Amino acid sequence: MKKNRSLWVLGKIAFWILIIFIFFYMLFPFYWAVNSSLKSEAQLQMTPATLLPVDRDGKFSPTLQNYVAIFNDGTFVRALWNSTIVAGLTTLLALGVGSFAAYAMGKLRFKGKRLTLYLILSLTMFPQITVLSGLYAVITTLNLGARLSLILSYMIFTLPFTTWVLTAFFKELPTEIMQSAWVDGATPFQTFYMILLPLTAPALVTAGLLAFIAAWNEYIFALTFTTIAPEARTIPVAISLFTGSVSRQVPFGEIMAGAVVVTVPVVALVFIFQRRIVQGLTAGAVKG
Amino acid sequence: MARKDKLTLAQKEQRTAYKLLLPALLILAAVAFYPLFQVFYTSLTDKVFASGTDEAPKFIGIENYKSLLGLTIQELPPIVDETTGDPLIDESTGMTMYERAIRVLPRSPVRYREWFQFSFFGRRYVVGARDPEFMKAIWNTLVFTVISVFLETILGLGVALVVNSNFKGKGIMRATMLVPWAVITVVSARIWEWMLQPTRAGLFNMVLSRLGLGDGGLSFLSMPTLQMPTLIAVDVWKTTPFMALLILAGLQLIPKELYEAGRVDGANRLRQFFAITMPLLKPTLAVALIFRTLDALRVFDVFQVLMGNRMYSMASYNYYQLIGNRNMGLASAVGVIIFFIIGIFAVLYMRLMGVDKE
Repeated sequence: MKKNRSLWVLGKIAFWILIIFIFFYMLFPFYWAVNSSLKSEAQLQMTPATLLPVDRDGKFSPTLQNYVAIFNDGTFVRALWNSTIVAGLTTLLALGVGSFAAYAMGKLRFKGKRLTLYLILSLTMFPQITVLSGLYAVITTLNLGARLSLILSYMIFTLPFTTWVLTAFFKELPTEIMQSAWVDGATPFQTFYMILLPLTAPALVTAGLLAFIAAWNEYIFALTFTTIAPEARTIPVAISLFTGSVSRQVPFGEIMAGAVVVTVPVVALVFIFQRRIVQGLTAGAVKG
Repeated sequence: MARKDKLTLAQKEQRTAYKLLLPALLILAAVAFYPLFQVFYTSLTDKVFASGTDEAPKFIGIENYKSLLGLTIQELPPIVDETTGDPLIDESTGMTMYERAIRVLPRSPVRYREWFQFSFFGRRYVVGARDPEFMKAIWNTLVFTVISVFLETILGLGVALVVNSNFKGKGIMRATMLVPWAVITVVSARIWEWMLQPTRAGLFNMVLSRLGLGDGGLSFLSMPTLQMPTLIAVDVWKTTPFMALLILAGLQLIPKELYEAGRVDGANRLRQFFAITMPLLKPTLAVALIFRTLDALRVFDVFQVLMGNRMYSMASYNYYQLIGNRNMGLASAVGVIIFFIIGIFAVLYMRLMGVDKE
């Protein structure tokens, strides 16, 4: 009995060590970014590197100069603005168009439904990278400007996904609600936006968040399509090409400040909607 | 108007459905189907982007594919001592010396460059490729995919099992898991780039030199032996949470009663894991593996940010051909090859895991 007890304690300790290890593993790189972003140029070049922004004499002295620098530098602010516009409008468009399609597929009867479903599902797995050069040709022909082109091209990965998640949600709504609306004389379209759409609000939030994060993250299309339009660069492109305004070396302090600024809002969103995001991710994968 | 009234309710419903689907299908046609068709077509031409000349691209058949995938194997003859007739031996290594690859590989009508050499039954061979960069890009991508997905699955499973058990602070842990996932991939790559600096200003070199390992000047991103492990480590940090989340969702679908039954029958934890958890987790693992593998095969962000032109993945080679070389025809062929490689993986997975039977 005593032996069992000590084994149990040992197991408990091992378990907590594991938890603490995972916790540090997941958070440490981000902590390092925060730490570095609060260091001055001199502190950044100090060897060995320190776990806190301290001076050579060991005095704790964080500075906000990196944050001031990136906000005074037009490139970063413009990229932030571009990313917000592009990711925001991508989300709205994907939700709007996606919920139309999802309503049709989840609730209406029509010929070719199975084919449409398979088409959308296959597109959720479609390797977007293969169409890089073809899409480049399309957007140069359409000549919509870089930002609008990005929004349009982001449909390739957001639209199938939002449609898929929303279709599953529409299917679960009771058909009786819809039928009683029809009996009351509502057209299918009125039924959609007056009755069904408000009911799908939770699914819209989930799909919208995931679409927003995907668009906020996207790099290869953004890098390719803003080659000749530097003013339309989004955050990932700006951060990957960041050279700073004055510094001769790679200005890692400013890059880390930028990293913190663009990560904090997303992490906050993710924490607030944690449950929904996990549901959305797993609905897209486990059930799909 | 009069005709419309005669439509049955079912016909009306069908019409509404088509109208609602139209915008989505139009957009997808413009951004997915048409470009896909365009890529297949352009890959058969010598189209150059923004060449300045208005010359129409020529149809060149499968020439692009040949120049990307062309391979040859040649035997490397040993260097023979002119006077004795014996093969020359390198005195420092004790190995037979062979002819240089460049003198053996064909140069006309097209040039083959060395990809790698190997020995087989005492003979030395060189594999030449018309485009060794692309061959290496494919190889790098495959190595990257297999190792990183394997590690992510093992770690993700471990994390999911830990987080799935009952303890104080479970909620905080689950939220913490989402942090790496929420960080933009490019941003995470740059954070790691900073931690991996080749001086003791970088975290890893600082820690290693504190531990008495290395001189604090390890160059993780330019030493060929460290490049791939570094890229994999960065990717594993970023995507393990995603894997863990999917597996966690799968774990929660397993009925608790099964474990109770197992305990009653005297199965220990390990036995329970292999007899209950693993079989029931299989479908979830299969789907998670497919998702991650297909995602890893098109890896771009970490390669582009951390390696630039030092090392390519398939996707970053595609980008390089399109933007760096403005070679649209060749870039399209790269795209088509990626499409088929990813397709092969998708089909293989579904067959192996029996996902299509459901």
